[in-house]
Amino acid sequence: MLEDFTAKFTQEKISFKKIGNKFFLEDKELEKAKLKQKEKYFGIYVGEEQEGNFIPSFVFLEWLAERSTEKIFVKDIGEIDFLYGKTLRSRHIDHVEGEIKIGFLKLVQNMYDENLGYGKITGDFAKTEQVLKPKVDRGLFLKREKKLKREEEKA
Amino acid sequence: MNPFTERYKEMGEEIEFIKLRKAIRVNTKKISPEKLQERLEKKHIEMERIPFVKNGFWVKAKFNLVSTPEYLLGLFYFQEAAAQIPVEVLNPKNLTLDCCAAPGGKTTQIAEYAPVIAVESNRERFVALENNIERLGLRNCIAYLMDLREVDKRFSSILLDAPCSGNYMLEDHWMQKNSLKRINERAEKQKELIAHALSLLEKDGIIVYSTCSIEPEENEFVIQFALDHFPVKVEKINCIGDPGLTKIFGKKLDPSIAHCRRLWPHKTKTIGFFIARLKKC
Repeated sequence: MLEDFTAKFTQEKISFKKIGNKFFLEDKELEKAKLKQKEKYFGIYVGEEQEGNFIPSFVFLEWLAERSTEKIFVKDIGEIDFLYGKTLRSRHIDHVEGEIKIGFLKLVQNMYDENLGYGKITGDFAKTEQVLKPKVDRGLFLKREKKLKREEEKA
Repeated sequence: MNPFTERYKEMGEEIEFIKLRKAIRVNTKKISPEKLQERLEKKHIEMERIPFVKNGFWVKAKFNLVSTPEYLLGLFYFQEAAAQIPVEVLNPKNLTLDCCAAPGGKTTQIAEYAPVIAVESNRERFVALENNIERLGLRNCIAYLMDLREVDKRFSSILLDAPCSGNYMLEDHWMQKNSLKRINERAEKQKELIAHALSLLEKDGIIVYSTCSIEPEENEFVIQFALDHFPVKVEKINCIGDPGLTKIFGKKLDPSIAHCRRLWPHKTKTIGFFIARLKKC
């Protein structure tokens, strides 16, 4: 699951460990710093398992973006739309690295090569308007923060 | 007159309520302050460097900054100006223990310079800590959901930003909601925390103790307790604020407590704050 996802972006082999339903990258140096108790968060958070699916973390997507050429670069207008969960249109795209094929996953980068999330190619760039559907975008932080605030207020 | 106002008078201060400015800290693991300033100013966000911290800006915008890509990308963290000082005073260079870590402002600040062991005992607040570590893209944090008193590893660098009763700038009607009894209860907890944190500190190690309270019971008296029970000395620190109080409420404290810094909102234009740097002998 996790290995399959990683292989779509890099050939680099990763070693990971599982804490609860979350995955973290192995890190021998950081391992030495640990306490004897079981940690909940460790170094590079890779992602988690949700109902049999792997949901990558944003730190891991950044880590992959440093190693991958499977990227799509979006203009400012595309950046905002993507962060609001909207499907990217061809006019949003500045350029693409790697192969363009329907069904392929691409890391979505802004013009500073900063990772915004990832998505799936859904249309032919030359023929159709809607070309990439978001799978995960950093707008998720807003949703998480709103949820936390609601829970805090309840408490 | 409110009893707190009376107490502040006894400390020599005529307090006044001020309007706080929104502050951010730049995540230098991802971007330089200069580049972030350039990007945000292009979006018509007014930016002014905070003169007494390294990577902070006061910001002003006609819209909410959390909706900007720069926030979602973790290029900055909302952190009150005074709250940016303790980590700078600690100046972490190697593995650091952050004792009461959530929501992660100081943990993520430490992680810009050194690996961090972050400890938090509150489950809901722990989620916020994880979220912020992820948003800021930090890769050198290990976080534990547990009480500080369970930690038994030794550290040469510790931050104890202790839970406190807060101050009148943080909450509406703070003076009406609080009492000396509550302050004293907090102070007992803070003494427990500093005692445990000091037991984890290596010889020659540094601990920074801070609170966002301006009550002496939660600050100078806690440091006096540390001096009375542990082989520590108070180190001079170079930051804004007044010297720690050494004579208050009929008590005479160790003169070295003057090396601590207390930030009065009406003087520093920040929230109320207290910072002490101790070295284990």
